Amino acid sequence: MDQRHIRNFCIIAHIDHGKSTLADRLIESTGAMRREEMSAQVMDSMELERERGITIKAKAIRLNYTATDGQTYLLNLIDTPGHVDFSYEVSRTLAACEGAVLLVDVTQGIQAQTLANVYSAMEHNLEIIPVLNKMDLPTAEPERVMSEVKMVLGYTEAETLKISGKTGLGVAELLEAIVHRIPPPSGKPESPLRSLIFDSHYDRYKGVIAYLRVVDGSIRKGDRLRFMATGTELEVIEVGYFNPRECPVDVLFTGEVGYIATGLKQVGEAPVGDTLTSVENPAATPLVGYRPAKPMVFAGIYPTEANDYQDLREAMEKLKLNDASLTSEMENSPLLGHGFRCGFLGLLHMDIVYERLEREFGLSLVVTAPGVEYLITKSDGEKITVINPGELPDPSQIVKMEEPWVKVSIITPSKFIGPIMELERDSGGVHKHTEFLGAAMGSEENQRVRLDYDMPLRSMLTTFYDSLKSRSKGYASLDYEFDGYRDAKLVKLDILVNEVLVDAFSRIVPPEQAMNVGRILVQKLKEEIPRQLFVVPVQAAVGGRIVARTDIGAKRKDVLAKCYGGDITRKRKLLDKQKEGKKKMKLIGRVEVPKEAFLSVLKTEI
Amino acid sequence: MTELSLYIHIPFCRRRCAYCSFVSYAERETDIPAYTRALAEEIKLRCVDDAEIKTIYFGGGTPSLMPADSLKEIFKAIRTCYKIADGAEVTLEANPGTIDSGYLKTVRSLGVNRLSLGVQSLDDAELRLLGRIHTSSEARESTRQAKEAGFTNLSLDFIYGIPERSQVTWRNMLAEIVTLRVQHLSLYGLTLEEDTPMHERVERGEVPSPDPDAAASEYEMAEEVLQAAGYNQYEISNWSQPGFESRHNRVYWQRGPYLGLGAAAHSFLDNKRIANTSDLDIYISELSGGKLPPQTTEVISKVVALSEAIILGLRLNEGISAGDIQAHFGIDLHHRFAVEIADCSSLGLLEEKGGRLRLTPRGRLLGNEVFMRFLA
Repeated sequence: MDQRHIRNFCIIAHIDHGKSTLADRLIESTGAMRREEMSAQVMDSMELERERGITIKAKAIRLNYTATDGQTYLLNLIDTPGHVDFSYEVSRTLAACEGAVLLVDVTQGIQAQTLANVYSAMEHNLEIIPVLNKMDLPTAEPERVMSEVKMVLGYTEAETLKISGKTGLGVAELLEAIVHRIPPPSGKPESPLRSLIFDSHYDRYKGVIAYLRVVDGSIRKGDRLRFMATGTELEVIEVGYFNPRECPVDVLFTGEVGYIATGLKQVGEAPVGDTLTSVENPAATPLVGYRPAKPMVFAGIYPTEANDYQDLREAMEKLKLNDASLTSEMENSPLLGHGFRCGFLGLLHMDIVYERLEREFGLSLVVTAPGVEYLITKSDGEKITVINPGELPDPSQIVKMEEPWVKVSIITPSKFIGPIMELERDSGGVHKHTEFLGAAMGSEENQRVRLDYDMPLRSMLTTFYDSLKSRSKGYASLDYEFDGYRDAKLVKLDILVNEVLVDAFSRIVPPEQAMNVGRILVQKLKEEIPRQLFVVPVQAAVGGRIVARTDIGAKRKDVLAKCYGGDITRKRKLLDKQKEGKKKMKLIGRVEVPKEAFLSVLKTEI
Repeated sequence: MTELSLYIHIPFCRRRCAYCSFVSYAERETDIPAYTRALAEEIKLRCVDDAEIKTIYFGGGTPSLMPADSLKEIFKAIRTCYKIADGAEVTLEANPGTIDSGYLKTVRSLGVNRLSLGVQSLDDAELRLLGRIHTSSEARESTRQAKEAGFTNLSLDFIYGIPERSQVTWRNMLAEIVTLRVQHLSLYGLTLEEDTPMHERVERGEVPSPDPDAAASEYEMAEEVLQAAGYNQYEISNWSQPGFESRHNRVYWQRGPYLGLGAAAHSFLDNKRIANTSDLDIYISELSGGKLPPQTTEVISKVVALSEAIILGLRLNEGISAGDIQAHFGIDLHHRFAVEIADCSSLGLLEEKGGRLRLTPRGRLLGNEVFMRFLA
C-alpha cells in the first residue's frame, strides 16, 4: 500500500466512555468483520479486561476503508491501555500513531486520565479529532461538554464530531475525518529499518509476538534484527497484521503496523518502547527514548497454604513471560512461609496480577499491604533501597531518606472541592493548581474543576482512591504520574505483641501519624488475636517510645461442661478439634495467633 | 461377679429446648409403648453375664415422660437379667411440668431413689429464652413435691452463662438455690451448639452470644456461695452435700464399665466405647424383630486410654494419683508428661496436692486447655 494511503491512529477515552464499542463499529463498518462474527467488543480480548471494563494490553487492527473520494485507505487502529498504571505503554502507543480520536462521553465530560493522555498525544504532535460520544442517550449534555472541550483543549464546535458508537450515528463522518485530517506516515522506505515496539505478548508456539510500527525501512520474514536498547538479536519467524484475525504477510513496509513472531522466550526481551533495527544495516539512532518498566508499588504475595509455594512459583514464572513490568523476588516470612516480594506499575497492575494468579492458576493467595521503595543514605555513606519497613535501618544510621512522589490531577464537579482538598491535605498533598473547566451549565455546583497536587505515592496506596470516590459520590476522576524522589521525614512504627517485635507488622509513617496508626493497629490486633492464658500487651512503638498500647485480657473460661450420657468420644473429638486448631496457630513468642488474624492485620488499610 | 452401671436413654421431649443438641424427639410420645418394649428386648439381648448393677441412670430427653407402667416394665426386664445391688443408686431425670406428686411417689416405689430435676433457671424470662416448657414456680413446686414424695437424694440442674443474665440475678438465684436444701447440684455452662434454635438466633443477632467472661464470673460466684452453704464441689460441674456425690457419674470419670441402653445410648465395656444408633425408628423396628440395632464401636488403644484416664480423672476435684496411673498403665506420670505438667502448673492451671495432681480453681474454668495437652 502506498504510504500516502496509510493512517495510523488510536482512540483516547476514559473507562466506559465507549472506546471498545466504537472500535467494534469501525471494524464492522469497514467490513473487516460482520456484526454476527464479532463477540461483543473484539479488542478487549482478555476475560479480565472485559469484566473490569478496561483494556490492559494494546493491540492493533488493520481496516481497509474506501473513502468518498473513491480511494481505499489502510487504517491501523491501535488500542491504548486505559489506566494510569500503564501510562508508559500509552505513550509508546501514541508514538506509533499520527493521529488520535479523542472520545468524550457526552453524558459525563472530560476525565482526568483522558486529559493526561490528550496532553501526551499533543506532545507527540498527533492530530487529534475531538469526538463527543453517546449522543443517542437522553442524558447527553452536548453544550456543557462542548464548552469543556473548547475551554480546556481549545477545539471548536466545528471540528468536533458528534457520534454514537452504539447506533452508528456519525461513524461515517468520523472515518472521513480520520482519512482527511490525520496525516500519512512520513518514514523513509530506503533508510535502515527502525521499528517501534508498542506491545508484546508470549505465544507458546511462536515465542514472543511483538507489536510494532515500521517507521523507516521494512521487515521481512527471515530478517535478522536487533533491539537497540537491550541488544537482543532475533530472526523474524513470521510477519503479519491483524484484521482482527492474524494475517501473515511477506513484508511490513514503511508506515505499516503489524506484528512479528520472534521466537524469544520472555516478553522482557522485546521491551515496549525499544527500537528494532537490522543486524546487517543498523540505524544510527533509536526512535524515541526507551526506559525499562519500573515498578513503583510493592507487595508480598504468598500462598494461603504454605504447601502451594511451588505452584505459585511456577505461576509467577508463567505470568512474567507475558508481563515485563512485573518483578518478583523470593521472600521468606516466619509467619507466612515462602512467597514473593513483587513490584508493580501501580495498584491496578497489582490487582490484575493477583486476580490472574488466582483465576488462571487456581491459587489462593495472600497479598500484603502495598508499599513503595525508599532511598536511604546511611551515615557511612552507603545508599540502599528499602521496600520492607522491617529492613529500615535504625534512625541513628539514616542521614537522608527519600520517597517517590507523584503529580496528581483530579477532575471533579466543584461542589466536591472542599472534601477533596481535605483528603489531599490529610494525604500530605501539596496544592499546585486549580483550573475551572468550561462554562458552568445549569447550577454553579456542576462547574467542573481540575485540581493539581503533588503528593507522596505512599499516601495513594491504601484508601486514597476509595476516599476520593466516596467523597465525590463517584464523580471525581484521577490521574497521576511519577514525579521523582523527594526528601521524606518518616519513622518506622513497630508493633510488639507480648514484648516481641513482629517485623511483618512494621510500617513506615509520618511521625505525626504514628500515634493514630499505632492505635488502629493495636486495636485491630486486640480484636483479632484470641485471648491467651495470660495477659498479652500489644504495643506500637517508634524507636524505643511506646505510642499506643492495649492489653488482651487473659482467657477465663474454656471448658466442656456436660457429659452427655457417658458420651466420652464426643468430648474427646471436640478436644481433638480444638487441639488441631491450636496446632495451626502461628506463634509470636508464646502467643498463638491464627493465620487469619495475622493476615487481617497485615491488610489493615490506614 | 462384676460391677456394672446401666444408662438408659429416653429420647422423648415435649418440645426441644432452644439450646439442646442432644438426641431427643419431640411429638413422638405415642411411640413410648413401642420404645419400652424395644428397651426391654435390648436389655434381654445385651445381658452381661454375672454382673451386679451398682447404678442405674435414666437420662434423656425427658425420662419423666415415661409413664410409671413403662418404667415398671423396664425395671422388670433389668431384674430378669441382673441382680441390682443393695443400696444401688437409681436416678431418674425429670423435668418440671411433666410430673406430679402421684407420679413421683409411684416411681419411687418402683425403685428410683434419686431424682435429678432439670430446673435450669429460677427466672421466667430466662426459662423462656432457653425454650423450657415450665415456669420457675413449677420448678419450685416440683422440688417440693419430690421431697414430699420421699426423695432424700435430690439433684437440681442449673445453667450458668445465660446471655443477658445480670450478676444480681445470678446472686439472687444462688441465694434461693441454697434455700431449697437439695442434696446435689449440677451447674452447666451454656454452650452454643450448632443446629440449635439458640444458635440460629445468635447468628441472626436476636440474642447476644453467651459471654465467656460473664460465665466465668457466675461460676466463681457459684463456687463461693455453694461452698459457704455446705456443698462440696467434687467435679467441674457438680456439687453435693457430703455423701451425695453422684455415683453413676463417677463411673464415667473413673472409666468404670457401663452399659448404655436405648437409642443413642453409649456404653463403655471391655475397653470399647460403643454408641447405639441414634435413629429412633431403626432402633424400634430392629428390636421389634428381635434383632440388635446397629452400633458404632471404637476400641480404645492404650495411649488413648491413658489420656482418657488423665482427662476424665482431672475433672474430679480430687484429681489423679501418679500411683493409680502407674498401677493401671505402668507409666510414670511425672516423667511422661513432665512438659505438660510444668506448663500447666506455671500457667496456674494444675497443682500437686497430697500426692495427687489436680486442677486449680482457675484450671477448672480452663479445663480444655489442660485436657488438650494430655490428649493422645
